[in-house]
Amino acid sequence: MSGKEGYIEVKNVSKRFKVNKRANGIPGMIANMFRPKFEYKHAVNDISFSIKQGEMIGFIGPNGAGKSTTIKMLSGILYPDSGEIVVNGYKPYEDRKEYVGNIGVVFGQKSQLQWDLPVIDSFELLKAIYRIPEDKYKKNLERFTEMLDMSGFINQPVRQLSLGQRMRADIVAALLHSPQIVFFDEPTIGVDVVGKETIRNFIRELNKEDNITMIFTTHDMQDIEKVCDRLIIIDKGSKIYDGKLLGIREKYGTTRQLDVEFVENYDVAPIEKVTIQELDELDGRKKRFIFENREVQIDELMNTLLSGYAIRDINISEPEIESLIRKIYNGEVS
Amino acid sequence: MNDAIHMIGVYTKTIMKSWFQYKVDAVLRSLAVFLRESTGIIVVYFTLLKFDTLNGWNINEMLFLFSLLFVTYGILILFFTGLRDFSGTVRSGNFDRFILRPRGLLFQIIFVNADWFAAIGHGGLGILLFVLSAGKVGVVWTPANIIYYLFAIAGGVLIQGAIFLFLATLNIYLLETGSLKEVFYWNARKFAGYPISIFHKVIQAGMIYVVPFAFVNYFPAQFLLRKEDMAAYPEIYLYLTPVVGVGMYLLAYLFWRVSLKHYKSSGN
Repeated sequence: MSGKEGYIEVKNVSKRFKVNKRANGIPGMIANMFRPKFEYKHAVNDISFSIKQGEMIGFIGPNGAGKSTTIKMLSGILYPDSGEIVVNGYKPYEDRKEYVGNIGVVFGQKSQLQWDLPVIDSFELLKAIYRIPEDKYKKNLERFTEMLDMSGFINQPVRQLSLGQRMRADIVAALLHSPQIVFFDEPTIGVDVVGKETIRNFIRELNKEDNITMIFTTHDMQDIEKVCDRLIIIDKGSKIYDGKLLGIREKYGTTRQLDVEFVENYDVAPIEKVTIQELDELDGRKKRFIFENREVQIDELMNTLLSGYAIRDINISEPEIESLIRKIYNGEVS
Repeated sequence: MNDAIHMIGVYTKTIMKSWFQYKVDAVLRSLAVFLRESTGIIVVYFTLLKFDTLNGWNINEMLFLFSLLFVTYGILILFFTGLRDFSGTVRSGNFDRFILRPRGLLFQIIFVNADWFAAIGHGGLGILLFVLSAGKVGVVWTPANIIYYLFAIAGGVLIQGAIFLFLATLNIYLLETGSLKEVFYWNARKFAGYPISIFHKVIQAGMIYVVPFAFVNYFPAQFLLRKEDMAAYPEIYLYLTPVVGVGMYLLAYLFWRVSLKHYKSSGN
């Protein structure tokens, strides 16, 4: 299925926070009322992007990059200082009541379930809050309960659930009113491997079957690789990458590494623009050659090696997406 | 309208269900609140036994003055617990969740949370004090007086609700207003346990014009009791409680509406 272009439009959005430097205690507070001291911190700085209906977006960045702030502006919790956000014709922060009926938000770190009550009671409460018609509620509840295998604990109080069970219940809670857009803020945090897999499959399936637009923030690269089509990376409040997941490798993954197993432990002569590492394997017979594929022709490097030394095995590898993203965060690539 | 009432019903049912997960604790809580608040009254009671009167107010009139404070607070926390505890709601991120739901924000804050058991403790004490004192203070409960009394209670609830709403709104700017609430609500309320005429002019002015607790219990009690110390204040003040209540609440509501734009969320 494909959907409308520009379903979510974010144009030149900035948000800065006034950080109040205040003295302690009541005198400090009162002094602060008359003479406030402020600092400004840019949480989001001139971000723009456009999302198609039904897209599955991975929205990532290091801690403090501005992900949560952006999600909060998209979901109507925060007002942007400047710029404009339009989602499916609504301005989230202005048309709040009409808008939020169309979206679902899962905060992995913050449950919306009633802690002391059985899961089903929270669902019943949400049914009233969102004015979900009886038949739609029943249908959704049955479908999601089955997909996420929840029948075993739906009548248990939330406080007795494991983290994985609670997260599944929280995801269903955000979906009962059939939202068209769902924001997942770290939906797999603290969940074990099997639980993560269940959640990812469910999200994938729902996206495909119902054409729901989804935005996903996470620190787990597996989530992104398995679930998302497109990746938006932000850092220090600015967008630094927007494109296909695999495009990351084309753009940033230009480093190659060539692992060579020699017949003997040779002293390999230095090669221009190639870093040579000794690996502590096979009595020093294995060495690693690291280079940029823009600077070094691989056939020339191979020729140099093959003509100079006897070689038993050879292996060339591209960097993992995960390590690339780590490098992007660390500012090692640009 | 029907939908809103239905929603209030569902919220209230949920609150009740949560509370009754811990039945013993719930009952003990009412009792604890009742006993804690009674202690203060008992101290005043025995102190006053030594003095006979306080600026012309005898012990029963004092208890009547107290009863207004407790009755209004009992009703207050049925409706405004959410505002009282609003700083916690903001810090825990629950307010973000309210924003994400298609219901009025103040509606959710007010009806999602009601401290029924504290209300029973406070309100129960208020009613007990009323019963103990009302017959002995010489008030004739004519229909007019009963109607006045009900309006005064409603006004007193609104005045305190407005203070809560105002302090809750300050949370949007300051994130934590515990100490302000301590000063402007709880300390002011302690003064309100006594006829304001016994205090220094500055405190009296504060109790009338800044945190107008005088309109919650002193002036309504004066309307019914007509003690001599009322001579120090304009007669009209006896009738203003509902007006002050509605006026303050509207102002606080305006401040709330304007401030929402500045909401910063709690980060994570």
